Amino acid sequence: MNNFEPLIAVFSCHYCSYAAADLAGSSRIQYPPNIRVIKIPCTGRVSVNHILKALECGADGVYVAGCLEGTCHFISGNFKAKQRVQYAKNLLSEINMEPERVQMYFMSAAEGAKFANVAKEMTETIRELGPSPLGQNKSE
Amino acid sequence: METELRIGVFVCHCGINIAGVLDIEDLCEYAGTLPNVVTVQPNLFTCAETGTSGIKNAVKEHDLNRVVVAACTPRTHEPIFRASCQEAGINPYFFEMVNIREHCSWVHRHDREAAQGKARDLIRMAVARAMFLEPIETFKSKVEPRALVIGAGIAGMSSALALAGEGFDVTLLEKKAEMGGLLRDLHKVAPSEVGAGELVEQKVAAIKQEGRIQCFTSATLEEVSGYVGNYSATFSSNGNTHTHKVGAIIVATGGAPLKPMGLYNYDGKRVITQSELETKLKSGKLDAKSIVMIQCVGARIPERNYCSRICCMVAIKNSLHIKEIAKDAKVFVLYRDIQAYGVENEALFLKAKEAGVRFIRYNLESPPVVGDGNVEIYHPAMGKEVPLPAELVVLSTPIVAHDDAESVSRILKVPVNEYRFFLEAHAKLSPLDFATNGIYLCGNAHYPATVREAISQALGAASRASIILSHDAIERVGTVARVDQELCSSCFACVKVCPYQVPHMDEGGKAMIEPMQCQGCGICVAECPAEAIQFGYVSDAQIMAACEALCA
Amino acid sequence: MIVAERKPMEEILSMIEDANRILVLGCRGCTTVCCAGGPKEVQELATLIRMNRKQKGTTVETLEASNELQCEPQSVGPLLEKLADQFDVILSMACGAGVQTIVKSFPDVRVLPALNTNFIGMAEEHGVWTEVCVACGDCLLGRTAGICPMTRCAKQLLNGPCGGSMKGKCEISKDVDCAWQLIIDRLTRLGRLEVLEEIYPVKDWSAGWHRGPQKIVREDLTS
Repeated sequence: MNNFEPLIAVFSCHYCSYAAADLAGSSRIQYPPNIRVIKIPCTGRVSVNHILKALECGADGVYVAGCLEGTCHFISGNFKAKQRVQYAKNLLSEINMEPERVQMYFMSAAEGAKFANVAKEMTETIRELGPSPLGQNKSE
Repeated sequence: METELRIGVFVCHCGINIAGVLDIEDLCEYAGTLPNVVTVQPNLFTCAETGTSGIKNAVKEHDLNRVVVAACTPRTHEPIFRASCQEAGINPYFFEMVNIREHCSWVHRHDREAAQGKARDLIRMAVARAMFLEPIETFKSKVEPRALVIGAGIAGMSSALALAGEGFDVTLLEKKAEMGGLLRDLHKVAPSEVGAGELVEQKVAAIKQEGRIQCFTSATLEEVSGYVGNYSATFSSNGNTHTHKVGAIIVATGGAPLKPMGLYNYDGKRVITQSELETKLKSGKLDAKSIVMIQCVGARIPERNYCSRICCMVAIKNSLHIKEIAKDAKVFVLYRDIQAYGVENEALFLKAKEAGVRFIRYNLESPPVVGDGNVEIYHPAMGKEVPLPAELVVLSTPIVAHDDAESVSRILKVPVNEYRFFLEAHAKLSPLDFATNGIYLCGNAHYPATVREAISQALGAASRASIILSHDAIERVGTVARVDQELCSSCFACVKVCPYQVPHMDEGGKAMIEPMQCQGCGICVAECPAEAIQFGYVSDAQIMAACEALCA
Repeated sequence: MIVAERKPMEEILSMIEDANRILVLGCRGCTTVCCAGGPKEVQELATLIRMNRKQKGTTVETLEASNELQCEPQSVGPLLEKLADQFDVILSMACGAGVQTIVKSFPDVRVLPALNTNFIGMAEEHGVWTEVCVACGDCLLGRTAGICPMTRCAKQLLNGPCGGSMKGKCEISKDVDCAWQLIIDRLTRLGRLEVLEEIYPVKDWSAGWHRGPQKIVREDLTS
């Protein structure tokens, strides 16, 4: 348990959070290596089934990172994503899994530091929760 | 799958950017063990000629039908490798990119073991996704040979003139009653010493003469729809509403100097701003014999943590003008850091010192105190507080974004940063472009700029826009959503969620998405309860494959 | 359309506790349109079932499919015959009619409902459905300006509002419109208020579900 390294899937939108991750990179801002980014054009592309799939396939946590609220490149994509993330959280509660394993974050393309902080925050959140009860992660 | 999948993986060292942290040999060896991978090649720089020709050769030699490059960010380099795929004869969308630089080697430098594991995972996920890539074709759309320029300050006017000069029609919008913008309030432009008023009048006259430019004053942008080459912009001007079809848009909405309300006893009379000083200089009404300028007023502080860049030069310029009028006038510039970049500005700085302008540094912990007829400042060389005589105090305040920047941002669906300056697609690779095709930016709307910079950005933006406008038609990539009508349940979910109102029901009562209008966000794809909307660019199968490959 | 929603997971999971090969079967008809039992929800439910079993350390095989119209034997028949030996239990995401269509055609197959069939409703906006018809079997919309007092009047009154109608709202809740207020407003608008002068006779309740299962036979269509 002490050596538990969470595996976290991130759905990151092309215009904001993926760009923020790039900026974190070019600014050499260090953050925990636990996240795996899956690039999508807009967080509105993410469906509840994608989130569930990531959890089923071994992610200890999943978060969707979109543009700041009100500034989505596709107007309402991040708003849809936020609704779906909430719905996914409810589903997890229904099968007695911690809803905190799924989160929604918002950031602009200029917020490299925020991308790094979010990665850190989520890693800490999941580390606290422990490995997913689905028992896929063998890193313990 | 009719043909056997043959995947080639190319792993980039990026000099030491990646190879300095990650073990490339190990990554290559690992990629070779992944299903359907038939060849793996390391490159010193995959984006260099040797790298791209290596991809092309490998495609031919190994009969590859999918290419995966593990290197830097696809946001900048994907087009290069897609082009290589196309040149090698495979669909450019049979390409997948793994970001092991920005997302790995650069950000996990101190944990090489974990970084290596992450890079392996990312490559595995990309290879898994590559198996489900779909070919994407391009199609053509007509271009409206007219540009919309928003803002008729020096940047907007310069852009409009440049475009008109190239033979394109221009719709120029100005929110005020007359063109000219900020420059109307200024005295002279450094380092050229051109009168700001003359410069404005010259540009305004040129625009009025130019038959291709239609300028609308007291104008407000109301709505913009469409896509690159084919935008439709609705705006009001002096009570009338107009809709113009335009192929490209330039945002030149400018900025304004911060009014330093509540700072350093600002009263607009004895304590004024640099632009108020310039108005005095212009009208010859400056009579003060002792002047103290304070730099970085309201800038580089926690709530406005940026450097406005131009204020130091403005202060240097104006102190020299004061010295020209009254040689014996005492001029002090209290600064935190001097920003006088470039040969000419550096020379002006020196000239000001030679002319007797005194530059005294202060820091944020002990700022100057504006008193009655003097300014107290801690002098670092003397190690004590000294009073400076000040009949007039001039505050250098930063350029801030206009309040309406947000509304323009919303209408055009382009981003602004936390200070409401417009945000370019990439600071180095596309500094004048927005991420949205066909929309460009220049001048203070982007960031505080000198007149010279604003003009060169304006010319650059005009040049970017003319690349679009000079084509009769442009190719659009089919990275769009498509309805499989056989599966459609006619539930209207897509119609209701599309932010651009693109889907509609056709005569047969099934959903239809016009590819030219689809923006490719994928919102409807994720919402469709019948899973009837397909999105070859980022399909469910691709996303699911990446998820399934999260764990080895 | 028929509006339904998924049963709580706890209930579904306890129903399938002893099943290890489950066919989650969606319907591309009403339950797709009301976002309760289409292909997307089939995938969602199957995944949740697998995740639940993984948590318990046991395994389960899930099969996902959807057919055109589960209340049509010709639509479910061939699909189920094709998948016949791949499942032990069918978890149907159709309405109650869909579940029973399978039951009738496949007497040996265990079929369980994953949805609660709620009402006949209309789509108000994306994600909002309201009940507008109780299938009373004796439609009187033609006399009530197209507004159903059987569904929307708490007392199912047939001849005007009761004394509990206050400022257009029903006494049961200030959020519920008085159906008769709506009827009168609409008749006024259409200039047909005189329709109300005719007293509606005692309703034939025998056509409604109260009387037991109904059947419709069209002689011209049967063979």
